Amino acid sequence: MKVITMDPKKCVGCRNCEMACAFASSAKSCEREYSNIKVYHHIEDKLVMPVTCFHCEQAWCMQVCPANAISRDPETDAVCIDQSRCAGCKMCILACPYGNIHFDTEKLVSHKCNLCEGEPSCVTHCIAGALQYEEIETYVDRKRSRVDTIIGTRVKHAEQE
Amino acid sequence: MSELKTYKSICRMCGEGCGIEVRVRDGKVEKIVGNKEDPVNCGRICIKGSSAATWVNLENRLTKPLKKTENGFVEIELEQAMDEIAEKLLAIQKKYGDNAIGVWKGEGIGFAQNEELARRFIHAVGSPNYFSNDTQCYAGRYTAFNLVYGCWPQADLRNSKLVILWGTNPPAAHSYWTQQINDARDKGAKLVVIDTKYTEIARQADIYVNVKPGCDGVLAWGVIREMLERGVVDYDFVEKFTLGFDELKAYAQTFTKDYVAQYCEIDGEVISQIVDLLDAARPHITSWPGTGLEHQQDGVNSVRATTYVDVLAGAIDQKGGMLVTQGMKINNLEIYDEKPLLDLKPIGADTHPVLYHMRKECHTLELMDQILSEKPYPFKGLVMSAANPALTNANTGKVLEALSKLELLVVKDLFLTETAELADYVLPAASYLEREELHYNAAGHYVFLSTKTSDKGLQTEYELFKGLADRMGAGSYFPWKNDHELNEWLIEPSGLTMEQLQNNPSGVRHTEIEYKKHERKLAAGEKPFNTPSGKVEFTSEILKQYGYEPLGKFTYVPDYIAKPDAAYPYLMMTGARKPMFFHGRYRNIEQLRKAVPHGQIEMHPTDAAKLNVVTGDRVRVTSRKGSIEIDVLVMNEKEIHPGSVQITHGFKHENVNLLTDDDVRDPISGFPALKSVMVNIEKI
Repeated sequence: MKVITMDPKKCVGCRNCEMACAFASSAKSCEREYSNIKVYHHIEDKLVMPVTCFHCEQAWCMQVCPANAISRDPETDAVCIDQSRCAGCKMCILACPYGNIHFDTEKLVSHKCNLCEGEPSCVTHCIAGALQYEEIETYVDRKRSRVDTIIGTRVKHAEQE
Repeated sequence: MSELKTYKSICRMCGEGCGIEVRVRDGKVEKIVGNKEDPVNCGRICIKGSSAATWVNLENRLTKPLKKTENGFVEIELEQAMDEIAEKLLAIQKKYGDNAIGVWKGEGIGFAQNEELARRFIHAVGSPNYFSNDTQCYAGRYTAFNLVYGCWPQADLRNSKLVILWGTNPPAAHSYWTQQINDARDKGAKLVVIDTKYTEIARQADIYVNVKPGCDGVLAWGVIREMLERGVVDYDFVEKFTLGFDELKAYAQTFTKDYVAQYCEIDGEVISQIVDLLDAARPHITSWPGTGLEHQQDGVNSVRATTYVDVLAGAIDQKGGMLVTQGMKINNLEIYDEKPLLDLKPIGADTHPVLYHMRKECHTLELMDQILSEKPYPFKGLVMSAANPALTNANTGKVLEALSKLELLVVKDLFLTETAELADYVLPAASYLEREELHYNAAGHYVFLSTKTSDKGLQTEYELFKGLADRMGAGSYFPWKNDHELNEWLIEPSGLTMEQLQNNPSGVRHTEIEYKKHERKLAAGEKPFNTPSGKVEFTSEILKQYGYEPLGKFTYVPDYIAKPDAAYPYLMMTGARKPMFFHGRYRNIEQLRKAVPHGQIEMHPTDAAKLNVVTGDRVRVTSRKGSIEIDVLVMNEKEIHPGSVQITHGFKHENVNLLTDDDVRDPISGFPALKSVMVNIEKI
């Protein structure tokens, strides 16, 4: 099962992901309000953070939705909103602990990431390589190899001393 | 039943050449995504790249040639347009002289091959006047790099252990570099960013230096001084392969930490921190100067000073360093040896001889003056291939006056641009998806052949120049039937075949990468570097030849420091791009325009407070050249140097080039100081 992983050590906040998502979602505009992925630049903390839906196994948005408008895509495992069923009650937005569901002020319904049917536009537009669409164990492997280098070098140095 | 075809190709929405996959349904481009097999961008593209699927299908794309009449533009047939244009060009040459016509390459429809075609065409018909956008972007740095080490090098970012970026922001200007820099950082590389703006790439920097505009050269000399002092120098390389080390050592003494800190308005300790990183990473150091330096009065020399840092650290032609790359062996389209035409006074070759010596490029700023003054000779006819100087050249007022004075202006483009509106003839152009072209990735030694993915029956670049040459009696220079035959001829010496390129659309490596070629060449008794002395030249033989100071001294101090003017107390910078646009282009892609609908003046909160403005307020910005009205965007105090403001170019209604000076220039390159324009700002 593939997920979108995000690396704040690589994100530069170019917002290509936001623009791509906005266009994929709206088919008319790259404006940020249409995007499901949002990049936050916390300049004082020297932090750039791109975040989109984590598609939780226990999706609180899905559980709370009184219209049964949220379901899981069997192909991609994405948690998706059926906007034709959405009543616009915003319960899902309140339920999401991460701020990953947004409200469409024109259609008056919620919108969120649906993994673009398995080819997430944000990831293919991430020119920094901060976003990946990958198996979670691939992410773990990448993280391990990076940490291995750091820890391994330290251990070797310590032994030499 | 609809038919979906996919093609692997190369993006030309900017000059970087990322690999793309073009999905075409029933002959119409439907979607563009990154090509995962491409070794350069590895499947990732920016929003410009994917938006090309909208761009090439826009309803207002030009499909018929236009001729200007008393009643405005009327549509005519292509053959008639070509006949009339050729006839008028010949008539101008007959009346005013062979050099009264010229050609100007823009970047709207191609980047590599159309430059050589344009150069070939204009010399074939007897004029030396080839122009391009490069005399405002690229040619200054090209000159600087070549003066020092005889080539336009490539930064081997992925293998680098230290990346230093001087006034350049890859996420906006070289998108795939961002990924490569991050790959290097994954392996432990450090990143230093020197910029007057806290740019996107600065957000990931280990060291960010907010240098005062136009003072990068001073900082570079400060770094050089400390490298010398601490012995962070590859003495073996310097001794064997460089010229002018003693002069460099002597001159660097001025740039003490205190002097540099005060001059650049920075904390002097960063110099030591940068030298620490240089020492730890050498020789695997890449360092890249951008237009932030090039668009300054001391542009060429500031760029040279940054390259001295790489040279002293021994990074030249090292893995993970500054590669002296080998281009693919191809046939040469240029005919400068056969027809140099120097006696016909290429425009700008006398005022900026070093630039002409290095680039064989006439100067667009000089052109405007010459059209208006007719001195030293009249210039009356210009053919432009997808350039839009009405929006993008310095001093728009003069550009409009000059282009309107021409007897013949021909513009070939996909759309009726601001410049095309001034033209006598407008020719519809085939986009990069509608023709066949060779592309190169210089750092990786890759060659790609892009294929026609859709066909709208529009004229290609080759057909334009061949068509005119045929009609002007120079057809023998364009014997190839079409661009496919031309490409076949071009690659002949490489040993590669068209079939090989067609079968490998994700690129073929034309030559294995070899490092430290200077050592092999020295041993073989060849010139190690392609400079007059064969060495890396701290002191340039070419500059000496033309009467300039040979060492890259910080000589041409920006006017705003050397001769400030109280009437224009702010310093305006322009010429830096936004990720969704390419200079004057793509405001006609609706989804992109909606994201950034108009220009803004970016300013420091202290300046905003002084002017009593907040984001969204309107101000009038006035320079010695003109005035515009524009909305304010107040930045974070960390994001821009106080006293400096930034306006992005390419917005028609907030055209910053109405403000830019065309007469404040780097004396070596003739580049306008687009990043040091003195302005006044008033709230309205």
